[in-house]
Parts: sequence; structure tokens; C-alpha cells
Amino acid sequence: MKIRIVCILLAALVSAGLTLDLSRAEGEARIAVLNPQGILPPIERIPMAPRAESLEGKTIYVVDTKFPRTRAFVETLHRVLQETYPKTVWVLRDKLGNYQVDDPNLWKEIREKGHGVIMGIGH
Amino acid sequence: MGVPTVPVITRSFEELVKSIAFKKGIPGMRIVFTPHPVTDRTPEVCRKYILGRDPVSGRPMLDVILDGLTRPPAAEDRRAGPIARPARPRLLEPMAEDELQKYFLDNGYTDGFPVVPPTERRVAEMLKGTSREPGEIVGRMRPSDPHEAWEYTVEMVAANAVMAGAKPEQFPAILAIASTGVTSLFSSTSSFARMAVFNGPIVGEIGMNAGIGAMGPFNHANAAIGRAWTLISRNLGGSGKPGETYLGSQGTPLNYSNICFPEAEAALPPGWNPLHVQKGFKPSDSVVSLFSGWSLNNVAWFSPMPIHEVIRGWLEHFFSTSVSQATLILDPIVAGDIAAAGFGSKEAYIDYLAKNTGTPSWLYWQTRQNELEKAKEGVEPFAGYLRLGDAGVVPVPRFGRGRGGRSAIEVVVTGGSTNAYWFGGDFSHLTSVAVDPWR
Repeated sequence: MKIRIVCILLAALVSAGLTLDLSRAEGEARIAVLNPQGILPPIERIPMAPRAESLEGKTIYVVDTKFPRTRAFVETLHRVLQETYPKTVWVLRDKLGNYQVDDPNLWKEIREKGHGVIMGIGH
Repeated sequence: MGVPTVPVITRSFEELVKSIAFKKGIPGMRIVFTPHPVTDRTPEVCRKYILGRDPVSGRPMLDVILDGLTRPPAAEDRRAGPIARPARPRLLEPMAEDELQKYFLDNGYTDGFPVVPPTERRVAEMLKGTSREPGEIVGRMRPSDPHEAWEYTVEMVAANAVMAGAKPEQFPAILAIASTGVTSLFSSTSSFARMAVFNGPIVGEIGMNAGIGAMGPFNHANAAIGRAWTLISRNLGGSGKPGETYLGSQGTPLNYSNICFPEAEAALPPGWNPLHVQKGFKPSDSVVSLFSGWSLNNVAWFSPMPIHEVIRGWLEHFFSTSVSQATLILDPIVAGDIAAAGFGSKEAYIDYLAKNTGTPSWLYWQTRQNELEKAKEGVEPFAGYLRLGDAGVVPVPRFGRGRGGRSAIEVVVTGGSTNAYWFGGDFSHLTSVAVDPWR
């Protein structure tokens, strides 16, 4: 009788232990961690410029940003645009310095004399 | 710009340029794409591209250009004002560890390996390594100049230090690196690598290895600090998303944990100052110096020539992504041999190298188009240089002063003196910062 009671108790303990283990495995498995990412800066939207309905009679700049070994592409783009849309004035201009240098004077000229700009190109 | 603007971009940079346009505040930017690459294409090939289709939209490229210059912008693209960005709560939703590892991997928070989950308890333990407040801003970091910079706090750096497996005593060293704002995953089509060299008492205090295998995966501090830099670069500096914030065509295995090691100060020859003293710090300061480059050669050339001459010859002729800057990482045996040859300081040897390293003809003419034209016209001394032939060495120093007037050659000593090996490569010094303020 004593042996039977001990066996029942042991079985109950083992069973309880297993249940405990399973529930602990499920409970412990869900962990909260810190977000490892940094703080995003705010973005201010820049309004896009209004567009003209047609480019006829307009002046459009084609600006070479001077990325190395891409001159042929920019010159060909300018030539193809002249051939295809002869009623538009296409002005080919080199940006100051290399492709990493800003050229505020050219941007000012384009704003004053142009109706649009195509910028190219890298790689 | 203020007028209708259309950039023409090659196909390979679609993700990058759309991301940059959004972050600069013009999400509706009209972008025209052409096949990649356009460098060195003939006018005939370029014409074919231009009269062909935009590879992204599938429409004729000229139509896309005209559309970009004439189609009225959408109402939202005509407005000013802030663009909403996704919230980044301090704590992520609880998840099972396997799920967490997958979530971190899928979101690009790791280096491809499992990370230590940054629980609040572990992060709090890491924060015991510094006296700084958890909410203090440490710095700002960006993948490269055109990209936006992210800010980060001491606690955010701690979370990444935990993920890298670092210990609290290593945390000031990691904060010092983070404070520089230098990403270890610089975005360029070339595959940049970074190097962090430690000097001063911190090296012994946290048990860094400057002996056998100093640059290998054999020491916890060397490895964890280097790994933390890469995780910080991804998660706090916004770097390392291939196609958008990382463009290295081939990538480099050096980015896993960077090249992170201390200088073997105790093994420096008499008169040779440690790197941090060369950079203006006191010997008792703890300092980390960051370098940028691409690659290293490992050399032990047992020659009848003295080793300082072997290195000079290597410097004259080595070829890499950058050809005018170099860093030598010498085993103490090599440093000792050079000192014994009469060079009483690093600076004396660097000056010798700078003065006695000419430029091989093939390299000289590759980088000097204007001089080549003058040489062909008979203008001296260029015509004389051209007469040296392809195998000649032009008597123009290959290494002068680097950026900001710094020497374009650096010398660092590390290793276990098992043999006379040295590394040479195209690394240049970026900055040196004190670790002590971050304790």
C-alpha cells in the first residue's frame, strides 16, 4: 500500500514537473528586448516645381555632373534631344568641378534662364 | 532647384536614388533610368540606350524624360510640410527567442550571425560600464555624405554592445568609437574596410590581445568591440542595406568585426612612440584610432636586402584601390630590425620611406593625363619621365602629405614575435579619440 502511494505521488510529481517545464518553456520563450535602431531625423517635404504643358519654345538645360568616363552618354543625350525635339532649346552645360562639387552659380543661371533641367549621370 | 528637374540614373541605383529622393523630401521626384553601366560606352551604345526603354518603367526613355518635365505634380507633391516616419518604440513586442533571432536577421539588425538578445536586464548591466546617462546623445552617423544621419543615445549603443556579446568593461571603448560618427560600413561602389587600433591603459584593463594572433579571432575584447562597431553602423548609423545604404560591389569580409586590435606598446623599440602619442595624446591616455582603407597584404620576404628596404620596394610598387596612402602593421621583430638599421623613431622611418619611394612609370602615367600630354609634346621633365619606359620609376615621391597635412604613411606595431611578418595596405588614419571620457 505504501509502495503504491509513493508511486502515485512520484508519478504526480513527475507529471507536474513536466507540465511546469512545458509551461515555463512557453512562458520564458517570449522575451522583450530593446529596439536596436537609432533615431530617424525629420523629413520636410520640398514642393515640386510646376510643369509647363509643352516644352516647345522652352529652354532645357542638360547638365553633365562630370562623373568620370560618362561624357559620351551626356553628349549623346543632348544630341538626341536636339534631333528629336528641335522646337526646344537644349543647352549642354558642365557642372563645376567633379561630380561631388556643388555649383550654385549654375543652379542660379538655370533658374533665371531655363524652364527645366536634366541631370546626368554616374557609373 | 526651383524648375522642373529630371535626374538620369543607371538601373543599378534604383533603390538608392528613390530612397535618397524620399529622405531629401521629394518622394515624387521624376527619375529616368538607363541600363547600367554607362561608363566607357561608345556613343552608338549610348544612343541605343537613349532611344530604348527605361529599364524600370518599361516605357521609351525619351517619353519618360518629357513626362518628367511636363506632367503636373500630384497635389501632395506640391505641398510643403513634414513627412511622417515610422515610430521606433524603445521596446520591441515580446517574442520567442527563435522568432527574435529571425526578426533581427530579417530586418537587417545583425551581421548575419545570431546576436545576444538586448533585454532590459542585459542592457542595464552594460550601462554599468559607463557613468554617462542612458538618454545622453552619443553622436550622429550616416552611411556616406548624401545619406541622412541618425542620432543615438548611450542606451542604444548599449543595446548594440549587448548584441555583439560585449562586456560592460568594454563599453567605454565602444562608446568612444560610436562618438566619432564614423560608420564601419561606408557606402561606395568600392568595398571599404575599417580598422580600430587601441592604445593606453584600456588595453590591459580589458584584456585586449596585442600578442600572437592579435588581428585574428582569438580574443574576446578585440572581437566584441570590432563586431559592435559593425552592428552600431547598421542599427544606429543607418548603414548596410545592400542596394540602398550599402553599394560595395563585392563587399569585404573585413566588415564582420573590422580590424580591431591594440598596438603592442611594450614591444616598441626604444624611441618609437605609440600611435596615440604620435596623434597628440599622453602615454597615460586610453585612445582608439580609426583607419579607412580596403585591403592588406601579409608579407615576410626573406631577402638579402635589409627589411626596411624590402618594405620600401613593396610600397613603391603595391597597387590597390587607393595608391597614395599606406599603413604598415609591423610585427615587433620587424620594428626591432628597422630600429636596429638606424631608424630611431616611427617618424624617421616614415620620412625615409616618403623621400625614397618614387612612383612606378605605369602608375605615374595612369593618374596624370595632363602631364602625359605635355610629355608627348616634349615638355620637360615629363618627356624625360616618359623616356624611362614602362619599367622605370619616376623620381616623384609616391607618398606625400595626406589629408589635413597628415603623413600619408602610418606605422603601427602589433603581434607575438613568432616571425618577421608585416602587413601593408591602403589604409589611412581618420581620427583618434579618447576612451576615458566615456568611462
